[in-house]
Amino acid sequence: MLRVSNLKAAYGKIEALHGISFHVEKGEIVTLIGANGAGKSTALKALMRLPPPESPTVTGGDITFNDVSILGMPAHRIVHDLKMTLVPEGRHIFGNLTVMENLQLASWSRKGEDTDKEIQHVFDLFPRLAERAKQRSDTLSGGEQQMLAVGRALMTKCTVLLLDEPSMGLAPLIMYDMFRTLKRLNTEGLTIVVVEQNAHLALKVADRGYVLDTGKIVAEGPAEELLHKPEIKAAYLGG
Amino acid sequence: MQRYAINILLCAAALILVGLAHAGKLDGYVLHVITLIGINCIFALSLNLVNGYMGEFSCGHAGFMCVGALTGALLSVALFTDSTLFGTAIFASHWAPFLFPLVLIGAMITAALAGLIVALPSFKTRDDYLAIITIAANLIIISIFNNIDAIGGPRGFLGQQQTINAMSNFIKLPWMLIWTLIGVFICVIVIRRLMTSTYGKGVSAVCQNEVAAEMMGVNTNRVKIMAFMVSSGLAGLAGVLYAHHIDYVNPKSFDLLKSTEGLVMVYLGGMGSITGVLMAAVAFTLLVESLRFIIPMLNNGLHSIGLLPESYHLDQKWAWVFIPLMLILLMRFRPEGFLGNRELTHVFPRLKRWITLK
Repeated sequence: MLRVSNLKAAYGKIEALHGISFHVEKGEIVTLIGANGAGKSTALKALMRLPPPESPTVTGGDITFNDVSILGMPAHRIVHDLKMTLVPEGRHIFGNLTVMENLQLASWSRKGEDTDKEIQHVFDLFPRLAERAKQRSDTLSGGEQQMLAVGRALMTKCTVLLLDEPSMGLAPLIMYDMFRTLKRLNTEGLTIVVVEQNAHLALKVADRGYVLDTGKIVAEGPAEELLHKPEIKAAYLGG
Repeated sequence: MQRYAINILLCAAALILVGLAHAGKLDGYVLHVITLIGINCIFALSLNLVNGYMGEFSCGHAGFMCVGALTGALLSVALFTDSTLFGTAIFASHWAPFLFPLVLIGAMITAALAGLIVALPSFKTRDDYLAIITIAANLIIISIFNNIDAIGGPRGFLGQQQTINAMSNFIKLPWMLIWTLIGVFICVIVIRRLMTSTYGKGVSAVCQNEVAAEMMGVNTNRVKIMAFMVSSGLAGLAGVLYAHHIDYVNPKSFDLLKSTEGLVMVYLGGMGSITGVLMAAVAFTLLVESLRFIIPMLNNGLHSIGLLPESYHLDQKWAWVFIPLMLILLMRFRPEGFLGNRELTHVFPRLKRWITLK
């Protein structure tokens, strides 16, 4: 349902994506893997179009959602109308507010609706957040902050969730927990696109994967297949 | 009932104040200072919306006050008084007490539009860049005013107080004080209602993290522009009241120094706190006024113990040494201001029983 065709994106004069194509079907987990600077995050940012300073400019190609082009649609409309949202790299939680306030604020796009059920759902997924509901969120650990960032994204009632490096700065155990939760959300019907440094972990969870290198897609296929491809093993999975 | 105690108390206080002024129990100077406090409250609260709640940094808010003051003055003169500029009054002067809100609203709308004009291009940027743009906007507005000779240019514009006098001729009341108090109440209510609404939540989200705000579906651009317009509109309200109180609008009264006063009040009170900023506006105005007496006393004292040479006298210019010094000390020892992002009810939870700030 989400289709990216020959997408080119640039920061100023420097082109970061030289025409990539990928697609995401309903109910899938798709992962984009690759080394630093390969253009994984740029691809997600181009999808969402954050406010100007953060975002690359799309210079070519097209992005369609259910066969309708979403180029030129501002990010808040994508969140609101298409139910697609992004957990940005580095979490971007509202540090001054408590966990509960973060979640309440996140239901902003659904004015006036009852949000207790969703908050309960987030607390079911991440029991740690329930314990810390009244705590200021900048006092949370890195892992808890990441949980909050995901929980907050879920509060928008999204059907497609984009995640930018959810494992960044997390201890291995917490990282596994996070991906297990993503898998559970997927079985509940959420479509997930995850950009990841930790290629091994991402491919284990994902249905399909794309490998990016310097702004181009160099390999794609079912995650299982990619995991066992010798050249990918050598380049990204540590032998 | 109990929850409205503070509101009732405040209304009663306002009525008593008006009553005292009406009975002539208040000295002219005291009345002047009280009105000034009210105007400063409105100005500081309006700036607080941008610098406190929204977390952006507007340095040129006096520019919008200037727009409000000027439009208000012109409207007032055109509507209610015979003048060489606009000819005879549109309404007979006894209409003044009833139609004066037109002047206030006109001034607020114009100031809000000026805010929109500044906001549209400048909200593509953030932080320091926005601060620089707002300084520039402040200078541009003053410069425009300075160069329109028909309304006095650098000599300033006067005559609008006749409207207030016309009200007093019709019904003898301390009108200036009444309008200022009404202005303060309106300002507090507008900001309070705005910040507890869904839009206000969007403003807090933008303040905290713009990327995250956008990701939860907040139209950050619209929220920011709207908050900026409300803020500049309220600054315009402060301006129009100031113009009628001083009876003389001079572009110099709205320069960067005035903007700085606003910043001092907001940071003194604590960003994003209505009660804090109100306290700060009162404290700051009283401090500035008290320096009028303290500086000569200091001057005499220093002369009598021989610390100052006979030929040099401390004058009122030194106020602008003491006030920035206060800002420096504040930033060093209590950077969060009086209340720091919290309302009085958060600092003293027991007050909650007595107050609804809605």
